Amino acid sequence: MTGAAAVVRKDLMLLWRHRSGWLSAGTFATMSVLTYSFAFDLVTDDVRPLLPGVLWVTFLFAGIIACSRSFADEVEQGTFDAMLLAPIPRTSLYVGKVVANLVALLSIELAVMVMATILFNTTLLTVELAAIVAVGTAGYVTLTTLLATLGTRVRSREVLLPVLALPLLVPLLIAGVRATGGVLDVPSGDGPWLLLLVVFTIWSAAGSALLFPLVVEQ
Amino acid sequence: MNGLWGRVAQVYEWRWVVLPPAVGIAMLAMLVGAVVVAPREAVEGEVQRIFYIHVPSAIAAYLAFFIVFVASIVVLWRRDMRFDVVARAAAGVGVLFTALVLATGAIWGHPIWGTWWAWDARLTSTLILFLIFSGYLLARSLSDVADEQAARYAAVFAIIGFLDIPIINMSVRWWRTLHPQPIVLQLPGDQTLPQSMFAVLMIGMVAILLLALWFIVLRAETERVSARLTELRVALDRRDER
Repeated sequence: MTGAAAVVRKDLMLLWRHRSGWLSAGTFATMSVLTYSFAFDLVTDDVRPLLPGVLWVTFLFAGIIACSRSFADEVEQGTFDAMLLAPIPRTSLYVGKVVANLVALLSIELAVMVMATILFNTTLLTVELAAIVAVGTAGYVTLTTLLATLGTRVRSREVLLPVLALPLLVPLLIAGVRATGGVLDVPSGDGPWLLLLVVFTIWSAAGSALLFPLVVEQ
Repeated sequence: MNGLWGRVAQVYEWRWVVLPPAVGIAMLAMLVGAVVVAPREAVEGEVQRIFYIHVPSAIAAYLAFFIVFVASIVVLWRRDMRFDVVARAAAGVGVLFTALVLATGAIWGHPIWGTWWAWDARLTSTLILFLIFSGYLLARSLSDVADEQAARYAAVFAIIGFLDIPIINMSVRWWRTLHPQPIVLQLPGDQTLPQSMFAVLMIGMVAILLLALWFIVLRAETERVSARLTELRVALDRRDER
């Protein structure tokens, strides 16, 4: 357990030192919400029903950008091989990255939601919505972080990661958008959206944690 | 286990003799059956005949992806790169048949639903399946064929992708559905499909599955031969250097 804690501390430290990487993902996210709001305002007076979709698409894209370099730096520096030699469970390497990416993404999402509150004139910072966003974020970060390992072995990984991740994340997108819409009083049909979000998150976290050691085995 | 494996290997030896004529005859029978033998559907008319290719293609695609899934597990578990070749071949064939399903569905949907495409549950999940395994193929083409690590990554992606299918199906079904409910997979006594249509569909099933199998064998053999060729080239270069 102390090994895992040390890995998490290392990854949080890396997160702080390499903040330019994920902060640029945050800049991209706030910029895209701004652009969406501007573009939709040109064609419709009521932009509120579009808000859940805007939020989740932005979150997913920001997540892909922020997670894409999770392992790349360490693989290039050769420190990843050293980590693999350490006498700690392989899963803890994955947990460290997930925790760091979660912290980065949750801060980005907070900024995006503050931005959207102003632009879409809707109260977004509620407990209910925060819970939905937190669960959804855990769902896509666990999966995207696992897929980011793929990027260390292929050319043009910047293109590959969204192509691999987005189709897999469709259930999360549907559930997230619908659950958010439900909270914001946008007609969202009656499905157990929050349950689906939780199920997807558990599936993604458990599956990724189990498969990660198999991925990095040499 | 070894005896069974030997038996499988023995049957596999016959692939070049058995598969091509079998595929040819079955495909011909399917075409004649679908175009000539099967009765004209009363409501939908001639366009309904596309169903004899559409349904078997969907099943062939699912089976191909199941082969990818199983082969990927074997790659991770046994570290046997021969199964990576099988996985890659089956993924290509699965994507091909998924594309066929989407295309034939659109051709049928245009006159019947009045639209080429709708964000219906089944259409959406088929499209997502197509995208997942196209991504798999893209990942494979961007990495080195002989790279075992990349093969393991791709195997993990294929497993996750395959396990995602039920969740995708569940989520899009709650979302919306317009697609006709299956009328084929019912107990024989409850079968609502006329007997002649059912017979043609079964022939189509055999034909398309044989075709898919034939494609997978061909692709896997091509990959195997091309890997062997690379090996020989390397050996030849080494000899020249000496």
